[in-house]
Amino acid sequence: MIRSLLTGAIGAFGGTLAYTFLLNAPRKTLLPASLTGVAGYVLYLLLDGLGCSMIFSYFLATAAVSALCEIEARVMRMPSTIFLLSALVPLVPGYTFYSAMLALVENNGMLAASEGLKAVQIVASIAVGAAVTSGCFRALSRRRRAHGTPRR
Amino acid sequence: MNSNTKPNRQEMELLCKAAQLMLENGSETYRVEETVLRMARGLRHEHTSIAAFPTSIFVEVDGCTHVRRISRRGTNTMRIAQVNEISRRVEHGDMDAQAAMQALDEAARMPGVPQRTLVFSYALAAASFSLLFGGDAGTFAAAFFIGMLVQAVQPLLIQGEMGALFGNFAGGLLTAVLAQALHGLIPYGSVNAAITGGIMPLLSGLLMTTAVRDTMYGDLISGMARALEALLLAASVALGVYTGLKLAAMMGGMLL
Repeated sequence: MIRSLLTGAIGAFGGTLAYTFLLNAPRKTLLPASLTGVAGYVLYLLLDGLGCSMIFSYFLATAAVSALCEIEARVMRMPSTIFLLSALVPLVPGYTFYSAMLALVENNGMLAASEGLKAVQIVASIAVGAAVTSGCFRALSRRRRAHGTPRR
Repeated sequence: MNSNTKPNRQEMELLCKAAQLMLENGSETYRVEETVLRMARGLRHEHTSIAAFPTSIFVEVDGCTHVRRISRRGTNTMRIAQVNEISRRVEHGDMDAQAAMQALDEAARMPGVPQRTLVFSYALAAASFSLLFGGDAGTFAAAFFIGMLVQAVQPLLIQGEMGALFGNFAGGLLTAVLAQALHGLIPYGSVNAAITGGIMPLLSGLLMTTAVRDTMYGDLISGMARALEALLLAASVALGVYTGLKLAAMMGGMLL
């Protein structure tokens, strides 16, 4: 368990950091974004290891990642997209979509259907996780603006 | 200026340019629309409508309409940050239309990520993701090497109309062939982990997240379009890997 968590953390850190470079993220966002990516992936591994369902694990991990990203965006005064695009990379089911497609190419309809369904489930839980946190933050910042504190 | 003045040509160009830069560099649709509305407010135009899609923008200010076609789509978050910064300054009146236009032109001219950095970070991404799929230290090194080679040839592939599709197909093919050939020369941990790690930077997980974010903000068409693009790209990678595996198997058969 500890070992797989550690490998997961190293892999997620390297993967997210590499993505921040690929996306030409502003230099000062590199470290916060990568650490957020690690936090999200480790949380997912933990929940998964504790026996939570796949949907729930992805949902909570995404909610945590987007909350962290929204906070970072407000502290550093940058669009939250910059943080989210790289920090969500370890969670996003790019691989699952690929294996569904590979199964299609290999004419394995059953596997393609189950992998494709899994990918849709993951995307849906990521969507809801991100929507819930994003919605909360938007409601908060709207209220603060209504009180007259100028915010960028 | 009051809120009824017709926008002049430069102001319209400014709004379109900002929207275009945001869309071309991978921003979500709702953020593009917010940015344009914010700038229009800063220029004292209250009656502004915008409809943005991954492939086109329509901006209307006080009866004056401009349309732009978006044909290049990539991701460069530095540019998103810059346009965002400029739009805030226009909103607060710290920048007039002309200065903002100059700043936008400058942001557009800024060179992208240099190929050296791309090769290194592609390799790092490939190697790190191979760890997530059960690779060991040997697989890490192999995936790093494969990633470097794949990104090194990418600029030759992605030119032209269907560049992204072809680049992904060739990237998948090259990854599969290299992973097997390397395993034949120096046996390392897991070929499968090396291949899946190696193609991770090609797979458009990014497109998928943006698609999801677009859909949940109500931009249904943008969300669908981006999801379709992501699926198509994943399909081309899968075809590439499959072809590579078959090729390697055939060549292996001939050698034996």
